[in-house]
Amino acid sequence: MVMMVVFSVMFLISLIAVASNPSPYFAALGLMIGAGVGCGMLTQFGMTFLSMILFLIYLGGMLVVFAYSAALAAEPYPSAWGSLEVFSYVVGSLMLVVVMWMLLVNDFGAFDEIEGCVMSVRRYVGVSEMYNAGGYMLLVAGWVLLVALLVVLELTRGFGRGCLRAV
Amino acid sequence: MSPYILFVMLSSLGLGTTLTFTSSHWLLAWMGLEINTLAIIPLMTNKHHPRAVEAATKYFLTQAAAAAILLFASIYNAWYSGQWFIQDMSSPVSTLMTLAIAIKLGIAPMHFWLPEVMQGISISTGLILVTWQKLAPLALLMQISHNIKPELLIILGLMSTIIGGWGGLNQTQIRKIMAYSSIAHLGWIISILHFMPALAMINLFIYLIMTITMFMTFNLLNSPTINTLAMNWSKSPILAATSALALLSLGGLPPLTGFMPKWLIIQELTNQELAPTATLLALSALLSLFFYLRLSYSLSLTIMPNTHPQTLNWNMKTTTPLPLSLMMMMTLTMLPITPTIISLF
Repeated sequence: MVMMVVFSVMFLISLIAVASNPSPYFAALGLMIGAGVGCGMLTQFGMTFLSMILFLIYLGGMLVVFAYSAALAAEPYPSAWGSLEVFSYVVGSLMLVVVMWMLLVNDFGAFDEIEGCVMSVRRYVGVSEMYNAGGYMLLVAGWVLLVALLVVLELTRGFGRGCLRAV
Repeated sequence: MSPYILFVMLSSLGLGTTLTFTSSHWLLAWMGLEINTLAIIPLMTNKHHPRAVEAATKYFLTQAAAAAILLFASIYNAWYSGQWFIQDMSSPVSTLMTLAIAIKLGIAPMHFWLPEVMQGISISTGLILVTWQKLAPLALLMQISHNIKPELLIILGLMSTIIGGWGGLNQTQIRKIMAYSSIAHLGWIISILHFMPALAMINLFIYLIMTITMFMTFNLLNSPTINTLAMNWSKSPILAATSALALLSLGGLPPLTGFMPKWLIIQELTNQELAPTATLLALSALLSLFFYLRLSYSLSLTIMPNTHPQTLNWNMKTTTPLPLSLMMMMTLTMLPITPTIISLF
């Protein structure tokens, strides 16, 4: 429970780091930390394998996002939480979080419900059920991956294409 | 674009919509919507131009956000009620789901992406965007329509018709005007959705016919702005005359097809004792009618103020493609067979 609270607070802070509109640099950093901490929250619910898979995939994807945003917006004077504008966003987001907390958590009892949810979701039969009954759905999922590959290829193919910045 | 890639993208567009149509499970429906979004993006950037890239980016961001909200709502529904069936959507979650689908469709408070995306893409891709891409989200909305609060649908519908009319008034670009026209028609569709889904289907059917006609016409006339419309009477006199009438049909004037859904919807709303809503819908149709009238005026009643380089060709070779002629006839003259059309749905 203590770890859960620690992870939740870190998750909120990292999401505020994204939402407070700093330089893309720091926003991507906040997103990475948020993804990692989110996986930590999953381990607290007992889904260790799922969280490991998610963490590996997120790590790969987020590194690309980080590299991309660092390369796209290499600012000489990046603005972080120190600057007034970003800090006002941080204060605003924090106030929003507090308001939502006061409105929602007492009514719904979020943590109790989540634990109840986990007990009904954690069925490992589901995986074999998916491969057994959902074969065609997996076929479609594979087709989606192929389509995604072709879409990316088509969007970035050729000289001078694919970069948002080049106008 | 290579024809093979084009084939893959178009068939994936078909696959996505069909998957959403045929699924009873929220996850598969979401998957179909995502396939749709993914497959249309290369079609949007087919003519690679900064505006097209911007439009594709805006479209992708909006649709991805909407799909994320839709997925969240369906997971929340599964948590809340313990099952994934589309028809058994529980009532409080269906509000969130309706808003997510409204973003996907471009219904009024979430409509801002539609005119901007339409302006950046070609007319034929725009045709796909305002017809085929609307089908899958509308199918979902119709399946959950009995669980949505009618107040929500009426508010969304009224805002769509009013904003669709108002927004189109100030535009000179045909594609933006057609985007606002699409917003207004979707407003009519969803304001009747809770009370009589069959009537919403009829309205969708007529909307598809009229929109396909107009887009095919503008594609053939190759005119992106109102100014260039005035030249078209010399290119194709018959098409100029009939498409002016088709625009009035889109506005819903009586002897034409477009009057039918508006008539039936206003009657049904009055039967449901919603006369103020029906009045507001009818009045907002006037706003739309104003810009349709402006389009048809410059299409058929004005002449460019410069010397015409050639005399009018009185015996032209017919260049109007057959599908356009068929759609045009359906756009103009289907009002007398209203009972037949009602019996179809």
